[in-house]
Amino acid sequence: MSTDLPGWVPVEHRWLGLDRRRLKPAIFVLAVALLLIYGWPAVNAVVPWDNPIKAGDVLDLGGGATAVPPVGWQLEDGTLVSDDTGVSPSRETVKLAKAGAVINMTGAAFDGTAAQFLDQVLTSQDANADISGAPGTFTTTSGLAGVVRTASGPAGDELLAAFKMSETSPATAPALLVEVSTAPNSFQEYSGEIEALLRSVTPGSTA
Amino acid sequence: MTLTGSPAKDAQLSAIDQSGWGAPYRLFQPHNAAFWVWLIGVGIGSVGIVKFFGAGFGTYRLAVTSGIVFFGIYLIPWLIFLRHQNRYTAQPGALLATGFAWGFCAAAFWIALPANTAMLEIWTKLLGPAGASTWGAGLTAPINEEWGKGLGLILLIGLAPRLVRSGYDGFIIGAFIGLGFQVSEDILYAYNNATATFGVGQVESSLYILALRGFVGITSHALFSAVFCAGVMWILGRAPGERHVGRGLAACLAAMVLHFAWDDAGGLFAWNDFLLLAAPYLLLMPLAIVVLLVVRRLASRTERMWMRELLAPEVEAGVVDNELLAAVSGLHKDRRHFRKLVRNRRRADLLIESAGDLAQEIAAAGGAETPRVAHARRELLRLRGAAA
Repeated sequence: MSTDLPGWVPVEHRWLGLDRRRLKPAIFVLAVALLLIYGWPAVNAVVPWDNPIKAGDVLDLGGGATAVPPVGWQLEDGTLVSDDTGVSPSRETVKLAKAGAVINMTGAAFDGTAAQFLDQVLTSQDANADISGAPGTFTTTSGLAGVVRTASGPAGDELLAAFKMSETSPATAPALLVEVSTAPNSFQEYSGEIEALLRSVTPGSTA
Repeated sequence: MTLTGSPAKDAQLSAIDQSGWGAPYRLFQPHNAAFWVWLIGVGIGSVGIVKFFGAGFGTYRLAVTSGIVFFGIYLIPWLIFLRHQNRYTAQPGALLATGFAWGFCAAAFWIALPANTAMLEIWTKLLGPAGASTWGAGLTAPINEEWGKGLGLILLIGLAPRLVRSGYDGFIIGAFIGLGFQVSEDILYAYNNATATFGVGQVESSLYILALRGFVGITSHALFSAVFCAGVMWILGRAPGERHVGRGLAACLAAMVLHFAWDDAGGLFAWNDFLLLAAPYLLLMPLAIVVLLVVRRLASRTERMWMRELLAPEVEAGVVDNELLAAVSGLHKDRRHFRKLVRNRRRADLLIESAGDLAQEIAAAGGAETPRVAHARRELLRLRGAAA
């Protein structure tokens, strides 16, 4: 005669305090969950990036706005004009990477000036509150005036640039944030390419 | 001690045994490994939630709190609706809450967040950023999210093997797991939307997400998981005569395909400007609802049969008449027919609910005659007298 008192596990079914008869679903769930959680990152780690920027590639920043990315960098996120998929100027994100350097470009809806937008960005990003450089003006080849700040620290170098994507009505135009971060003491290596990218930022034809 | 003897009584006892109706449920089962896996998943998921929202809580406090409040309110009609759907099986609230917590914490933040991040990057590497932005979401979410949520059902089978038996059990539990996932994801969307504008207009941002996600949520995670989990139960075949591997695979696949089509509607309908805008609402939403209704109808068959067997001795004794039995164990058209017969919608609904109560009490008593069964029967007879 066996006991079926709720919660009582017969001695022959005990294993490390657990009921061996109930192990199957738990092991299955744990195995599949771990496979999803760690399996995909493992696959991701072995698949190499292969979206290098080629000569002639132009970034689509939405609403007709464009920028010319540096050749040879990996395009990890973003849309090229040649993709012809149509992007929103206030939602588009671009990520370019090369060795320890990363360029992020983010479109946002913001009413106000480029300087006010950069202030809002700094207010919302507490982690970057140590930005030390004084704000400077940066004018693109197309005549778009932006605000730039830089910072340097033991974690690396950083540059933040903000633009309002219209020369005629900047207050209501979408904003563009360009964030560049590089490994310590390597900013100089990329500064020419970064300056060329910033200079190439062009607002849409309707601006 | 339970009496046996009549074929109706034997069928009733067999239905109680097969269905598990009335079986107790307790989450805290230290001898059960499924409990520990649930605790690990929900625990790590909860830490993930705190870390994710905590990082930007100073700046995005308004977006997070308004997201929680808005979607907390949004949850109420959903719970009322799903409680109504629980009529055939009456799963205990604690079991459904266990599933909801899995969907909210574990499936969303323990599994989907890291798995989706990695998989989306794989698609970006393979298809390029433009290809990944068009197809990445649809090729990622149906795998990681449907499986992540479905694992909650497997754990509940381990935690309550007697209660989780039929396709309809999977349907209802799946809906609750999916609802947990959905609300969790919606709060995440409210937070992410606020970060896209660097914290400007956070409450407006949450309201926008509530309007957008609230509407599309009608045919979102709760629906996908209900269909997927009914499919899992058919594959496992835990109730006599309920093993339908082909049907189960078709249901799981249907949920994943609907999820894919919804996430990648932009890519699927890019060839036509009208469809690009209208197809998700005019094509995919109705299709999802049709799939849901077909699965619900197929899944409820066994539970409705158990309901008839549970009440069979009561029919023999004249407590329940055939029309009421058809209504309480039937489909919408049967209840509509019964309402016409009674000529009073409210009274008909009370009779149906009362007959359901009696079935639940009989199951909880294991078929024995207890004061609660006698009371439920008296209540039904009182109502029937009033209906006569």
